[in-house]
Amino acid sequence: MPNLTLSWRLARRELRGGFGRFRIFLACLILGVAAITAVGNLSESVLGGLRTDGKKLLGGDIDLRLLHRPASATQKTFLKAQAETYSESITMRAMVRPTTTRERRAMVELKAVDSAYPLVGQMETTPASSSKDSYALKDGSWGASVDANLLTRLQLKLGDTVKLGSITVQIRNTIIIEPDRVASVFSLGPRVMIDLKALHQSGLVQPGSQLRYHYKLTLPKSADPKAWQSTLAETFPKAGWRLRTPEEAAPGIKRFLERMTLFMSFTGLTVLLVGGLGITGAVRSYLDTKTETIATFKCLGAPGNLVFSIYMMQVLVIGTIGITIGLIIGGGSPIILLELIGNHLPVRPAIGLYSTPTLVAAVFGFLSTVTFALWPLGRARDVSAAHLFRFSLDTTARRPRWGYVIATLIGILLLALCTLYTSSDWFFALWFIIGSILTLVLLRFSAYLIMQIARKWKPGRGALWRLVQTNLHRPSTPTPNIVVSLGLGLTVLVAIGLIEGNLSRQISERIPERAPAFFFLDIQPGQVAEFDKAVTSVKGAGAYKRVPSLRGRIIQINGIPVEKAEVAPESQWAIRGDRALTYAANKDDVASAITQGEWWDAGYSGPPLISLDAGLARGFKVGLGDSLTLNVLGREITANIASLREIDWRSLKFDFAIVFAPGVLEGAPHSHIAAIEAVPEAEDAVERAATDTFANISAIRVRDALQAASVILSGIGAAVKGTAALTLIAGLIVLAGVMASEHRRRVYEAVVFKVLGAGYKRILCIYMLEYGILGLLTGAVAAGIGSLTAWAVIKFLMGSEWVFLPNIVILTVVLCVLMTTSVGLIGTWRALGQKAAPHLRDD
Amino acid sequence: MTIPPSVKPTLKLQDVHLKLGSDAGPVHILRGINLEIMPGETIGVIGPSGSGKTSFLMIAAGLETTTSGTVTACGTTYNGLNEDALAEFRRDHVGVVFQNFHLVPSMTALENVALPMEFARKDGAFERAQVELEAVGLGHRIHHYPGQLSGGEQQRVALARAFVTEPEILLADEPTGSLDQGTGEQVMQMLFDLQNRNGTTLILVTHAPDLAAQCSRLIKLADGQVVSDEVISENA
Repeated sequence: MPNLTLSWRLARRELRGGFGRFRIFLACLILGVAAITAVGNLSESVLGGLRTDGKKLLGGDIDLRLLHRPASATQKTFLKAQAETYSESITMRAMVRPTTTRERRAMVELKAVDSAYPLVGQMETTPASSSKDSYALKDGSWGASVDANLLTRLQLKLGDTVKLGSITVQIRNTIIIEPDRVASVFSLGPRVMIDLKALHQSGLVQPGSQLRYHYKLTLPKSADPKAWQSTLAETFPKAGWRLRTPEEAAPGIKRFLERMTLFMSFTGLTVLLVGGLGITGAVRSYLDTKTETIATFKCLGAPGNLVFSIYMMQVLVIGTIGITIGLIIGGGSPIILLELIGNHLPVRPAIGLYSTPTLVAAVFGFLSTVTFALWPLGRARDVSAAHLFRFSLDTTARRPRWGYVIATLIGILLLALCTLYTSSDWFFALWFIIGSILTLVLLRFSAYLIMQIARKWKPGRGALWRLVQTNLHRPSTPTPNIVVSLGLGLTVLVAIGLIEGNLSRQISERIPERAPAFFFLDIQPGQVAEFDKAVTSVKGAGAYKRVPSLRGRIIQINGIPVEKAEVAPESQWAIRGDRALTYAANKDDVASAITQGEWWDAGYSGPPLISLDAGLARGFKVGLGDSLTLNVLGREITANIASLREIDWRSLKFDFAIVFAPGVLEGAPHSHIAAIEAVPEAEDAVERAATDTFANISAIRVRDALQAASVILSGIGAAVKGTAALTLIAGLIVLAGVMASEHRRRVYEAVVFKVLGAGYKRILCIYMLEYGILGLLTGAVAAGIGSLTAWAVIKFLMGSEWVFLPNIVILTVVLCVLMTTSVGLIGTWRALGQKAAPHLRDD
Repeated sequence: MTIPPSVKPTLKLQDVHLKLGSDAGPVHILRGINLEIMPGETIGVIGPSGSGKTSFLMIAAGLETTTSGTVTACGTTYNGLNEDALAEFRRDHVGVVFQNFHLVPSMTALENVALPMEFARKDGAFERAQVELEAVGLGHRIHHYPGQLSGGEQQRVALARAFVTEPEILLADEPTGSLDQGTGEQVMQMLFDLQNRNGTTLILVTHAPDLAAQCSRLIKLADGQVVSDEVISENA
């Protein structure tokens, strides 16, 4: 055991020279720690906002939601009696058009509220007005508050009127704050708010219409929410409503944020990984300059472990400084960012510095510092005192003692365990770890191959290529460092670029090729024949399909409540809320092919049967003959699985995960949905035909929806790519570190070349070629590994169609060459600027 | 100097061979060295380049492991000792002075001299270092860094550092090789004074015959072998 006081005293003396020599070390660590801290704090701030404003976002202490049907009078009486305050609202999608023209129309997210709304927070509009003034019936028109973009879209101004169903609505103000609105990540239209009474007069409330009835209430302070929920469940065990509390006010946003945090954290960890390689290089460079001092220590009687502890303490001191700066930058940048863009987020962020993500980043920082410094420190421990006598002893290729190798492996294991422990998704975290290790191994192996090829390459007689070739494989060549560090950052960028490129292509090119022009919602059974005729008779309209649709929630799998059932992560979506259902007598009414079991007879009238999506069956671990219990409009239906179908959801063809056999759902109140193909020129006519005559029917223009999805995807892509760009910056810092450590050699070589008669241009050419070739090879290797990763993710993780996008790959390779040659040029320029004489005198 | 027969040698080399590997194959550097060096002797080791002088010094310091043969210093046989044990042995028994001084650039003269005492965890390291620096005439430069000292001053600091633990053996590798003649002579005078004061066994490797002539015994190496070993001055 070394004397720690002595180690600390000597470490302090060594550090008196300042921290300038640790610039690369510090830059790598600061960047990595700042990235992880920033991602964590950003996410916590927004999630914290969700938690803090949960009651406001929910609009009360409890939100009960029923689909298609209202609560019974008994239920309402019970709720009103229990609540301190109580409010009802209905949300749905609907079409509006200006009363003055039939040429413009828009789908809107309609919300009809009662006079008690909002129970929590305040509605704010421009111009400011009370809800009574906003929505009341005046001069034959109901009032509405709308999102400002509806005015732009329909070329309207305040005071203008629109047609909503069968009523006329006057737009009285625009919405600034709707207190219980959680901006949906994916929304099909602007918000329109009206009075509940107006909605009931509009003719939009029809049996089977896709209406969401919300019953919000605040509880008396004395009430125990848990006990209240139990009482509610006991009183109305089969109500079929979805109950939400402030803790789960916006589960969709929460899930989205958690998923984004997961991906961005992984990118942050990659930055730290690249930075870690930079730390190894920087510590090695520093210790190389200390070889003589270490040998002197040894010569004067310092044992190896004392040497190790002296330099480990220095690393820890620098590490602590780097981590602290990283935490400050990473903790501060989300605060600034959220102050700037907080108003555009779905929820009001609770801006602050959060202890958990900050602590996690600090732990990662310390673990990385120690793990990545162990190898060069272990080697430094074994620097021989004989170095003072025999300088020519080359120690570059030495492996440290096994103890240090094992300690490094333990450090890597701890980093992996920390990644798993702090990740919200073990499955992804595990793949990230395996992927990172595989990528590093592949990059290192590629570097080895490049060096082997360079060694075997026999350039012509010219000195230029021979020097380039030698520099690629000589002892202490920067080839492995550059290929691994820069290659890792570029691999991440290529992979993310190709994944995003493939997804964008799916949305912007592939899906529109096969997708219909419109989806129509809320077609009432009585409107079916007339509607079919109206839309199909439009010139330019193509294939048309209409199916009955209603919604229900899976509540049991083989008799086990879904909360307790074992459901695979990829199938969780199906049990999260209400799912669309249909019924069909003939197999031809369903797009997908049966893979197991048999379709029922057209005239089937036995116990309930369903045909289930084969993917869900795998996720639910069920097969033919097993049962699912669904709550459909408050009624529990248990049905056996008669067949399984393989559905390609990307086809955008009408299909349903659950299709009922005839005889079960026909009697339930329901509507129909339809899809129609149309040439672009006929789209307006089809929309008019559908919504003019049938005011209650909503038309979703697929082109608009895809464009909205495309915008969202590019936004997500930009956020992820922005974080990923940090890996490249980390790679660039490592590259700069390599150049710095190479500087002495480069100066010496340049001096010797000059003495031997090589001109300025020639020497410059040698170095530019060396770094250009290294950049080209690194870019090519990163492009290969990145493409392989993207292919695996698209093909196997997303089950999607893979297309190689050469532009992204070429851009990456060019970028890499530019980076290496630029950094090489800067470094070489400094070396070439040195006068030969002083160096020759020194030597 | 007459040595009684009962006194044991400070350093004893028995049939020491040293082979080092190289790209061109193994190089046989020392070929069967047999030597006994008694306490208080001053040994001048001379020979042409490549004769094995530095390797001999490294073997004596325990910095290089013999390929075969035995090295015993101050009653301790090196064979079987690991690197840390050899470092501790040097700390307690051996001082080394180099041609290029090898001071720690980030430490002051005082800290450099105190270093072996600190490694040995001895009390009063800095007081003792100051005394030693004053002895070499650098009492006024104790807080200067090596970069702020001249070559001669740096070598005097190195001498103070080598003698601060009062070692039984002092190994000096071309100690004046980097100094001008005048400074070199001053340093050598100081070296012999300190050696004389402490009764240290001095082994001095040098190219300069006149420097070696100041020692009591002259060993000449050639091609890794001792080609002559003569006592040149009883009182040197």
